[in-house]
Amino acid sequence: METESLSLGDTRPQASEENSRDTLAGVYDTLSGIYAFFRRARILTSILLTLGIMAAIAAAFGANPVTVAWAIVRNSVSRQLVLGETIMAASVLALTGLAAAIPFTARLWNIGGEGQMFAGAIASVILGLTLPENIAPVPFILILIIGGGLGGAIWGLIPGLLKAYFNVSEIVTSLMLNFVAIWASSFVVNVAFSNVYSQMRTLSIHENARFPVFWETADVDIGVFIALGAALVAWLMLARTSLGFSIRAIGSNPNAARLAGVKTRKVTVSAFVAAGFAGGLAGSVAIQEILNYTLAADFWLYNYGYLGIAVALLARLNPLAILPGAFLFSALKVGSNSLLATAGVSSSLGNVLIATFLILLLVTGVIQSRTSQAQASQ
Amino acid sequence: MSRDVVIALFASGLGLMVPILLASLGEILCEQAGVLNVGIEGTMLFGGATFAAVGAYYDNLAVAMLAGALAGAVVGVILSALYVRRGTDQIVTGLLFTIFALGVTGTLSAQLLGGKTASTLTPWKFPLIGRIPGFGEVIKQNQLFWITLLLVVAVHYLLRRTWWGLHLRAVGEQPHAASSAGLNVWRLRYSALILGNALVALGGATLVAASSGRFFTESTAGRGYIALGVVVVARWNPYGALAVSWLFGISQALRSAAEQIAFLDPVPVDFWSALPYIVTIIAVLVSRGSRYPAAVGIPWREPSTSRRK
Repeated sequence: METESLSLGDTRPQASEENSRDTLAGVYDTLSGIYAFFRRARILTSILLTLGIMAAIAAAFGANPVTVAWAIVRNSVSRQLVLGETIMAASVLALTGLAAAIPFTARLWNIGGEGQMFAGAIASVILGLTLPENIAPVPFILILIIGGGLGGAIWGLIPGLLKAYFNVSEIVTSLMLNFVAIWASSFVVNVAFSNVYSQMRTLSIHENARFPVFWETADVDIGVFIALGAALVAWLMLARTSLGFSIRAIGSNPNAARLAGVKTRKVTVSAFVAAGFAGGLAGSVAIQEILNYTLAADFWLYNYGYLGIAVALLARLNPLAILPGAFLFSALKVGSNSLLATAGVSSSLGNVLIATFLILLLVTGVIQSRTSQAQASQ
Repeated sequence: MSRDVVIALFASGLGLMVPILLASLGEILCEQAGVLNVGIEGTMLFGGATFAAVGAYYDNLAVAMLAGALAGAVVGVILSALYVRRGTDQIVTGLLFTIFALGVTGTLSAQLLGGKTASTLTPWKFPLIGRIPGFGEVIKQNQLFWITLLLVVAVHYLLRRTWWGLHLRAVGEQPHAASSAGLNVWRLRYSALILGNALVALGGATLVAASSGRFFTESTAGRGYIALGVVVVARWNPYGALAVSWLFGISQALRSAAEQIAFLDPVPVDFWSALPYIVTIIAVLVSRGSRYPAAVGIPWREPSTSRRK
């Protein structure tokens, strides 16, 4: 007893220090616990970091971050008309997302979604303007859809063939073809089918070639179903067919796939053609409700092709997951369109938002680097 | 096709070459160290925007240029944290970074610049040889053209004649061997990315400085990506990049020259705009024997830290 009290007495001068050490250790434990939690909850961390960075950027440009966030939400989903706009843009983004996701699965870097979309848009517009007006709506629309898809497929075929048979970097070729397609569209808009009433646009396509609008108050046309259908077909193709198996095999280990008898060249070309077809469909959807039945000269400012890559990555290349991913990014994009009027910052902030979020997902490892996976397996 | 047209074509080809050449030099440094910097387009955007922003408020060309290059160095630090330190996928990160740059520079130019312009580069006439007919007009270029030529020599010297360059190339080919030999792979790649991106950003700044002095997000128009092709065709040789970039400069200059050449007049102007990109595809196709440094695109992890997930 005595010794105990003595020892208690002895330690008294140090008690406060010990206490504080305990508190410090407690704080440290809590902090490292929080740190460990955020390391594990990587998606949450990415979202919070994105919000933080965006708030800082918005504040740096002299806008109130809360106003900006609220404006984006309000202008993307709150009213039927903007919701419809978001849904239509999401359809295009889902299709360009597929154009990236299919080849990415085989570790083929198709960055030409933009060009494939433009090729599809050009093909659709030309068909919609030059074919006789009196074709019935159903076949006319089918011609436009398939024609657009084929236009994109041809555009995708070029980098596919060059990669498969000449081993030319598909990154460079598919990127360059984007610009070629954009300038081709400029020719179509300004020279070949120029509109005397409104510059920067082609003439409007024939009535019978227009997609029917099934949700009148929101201006949503059947392009949505093209996106849904394409995502389903792409998922079935990748998950259930031998072509899809080959694509996945090349993606996980090209050498093993080749040794196992996968015809690498044929699969490479097929993946690019499939991607191009999806990209072409995006173009043929875009010229309908979104561009008001014309091809517009400033269409490339939308960056739908490049944002498709972001969508594909967010969905971890899963065609079905691309649909919600496309909706999210479309809402961010459409919501930020009117930021200048509502919150006093440039609408370019939408791109910053999407890119920051994805880069953080990459950094936190939510989106795995496919190259390092393959490296590890070798 | 008169003599004047040819001279004008050569001269403006040399002028248009400068941004692409600077971007290519920067990319050569990055790729020789084993990093494929697809974010090059974004770096050019940052360089151009920074130049325009500083130039609009502070009327000194050299300072604005240096600010542009400095912005590139900062971008290099950020990118090396992503590419090198975190080992994220270089192609994907680069593309996302470009989208990021499009957004940030677009916001920046809309918010800060409005209609303000920076001062622009003016052609500089040589005192004596500038009088030689023909040749004089061709070499009547702005100051940055001559600086760029010096930079070509400097980059070549750095890569081929210094220890740093030798180490850099070792790291780009065999990072594991280089690491075993005691080289710091990370530090070498950081330095290459910082220096390389500074050069790329200088290219972006030139783009703005040599035109109207106003920054548009459209102003780069894929020149960074063209540089990716130039590097392959030039086989990572700075002098090669000089020659190839000049070809691209001429293919761009054809757009304005074609109006004055009778038999080229019926060709639509959009074709000439698309020509540099088509030339890139063909050039990369023709030089397909060209081999990337072995470690390009592959993130490197220090072996001892690999067990720590």
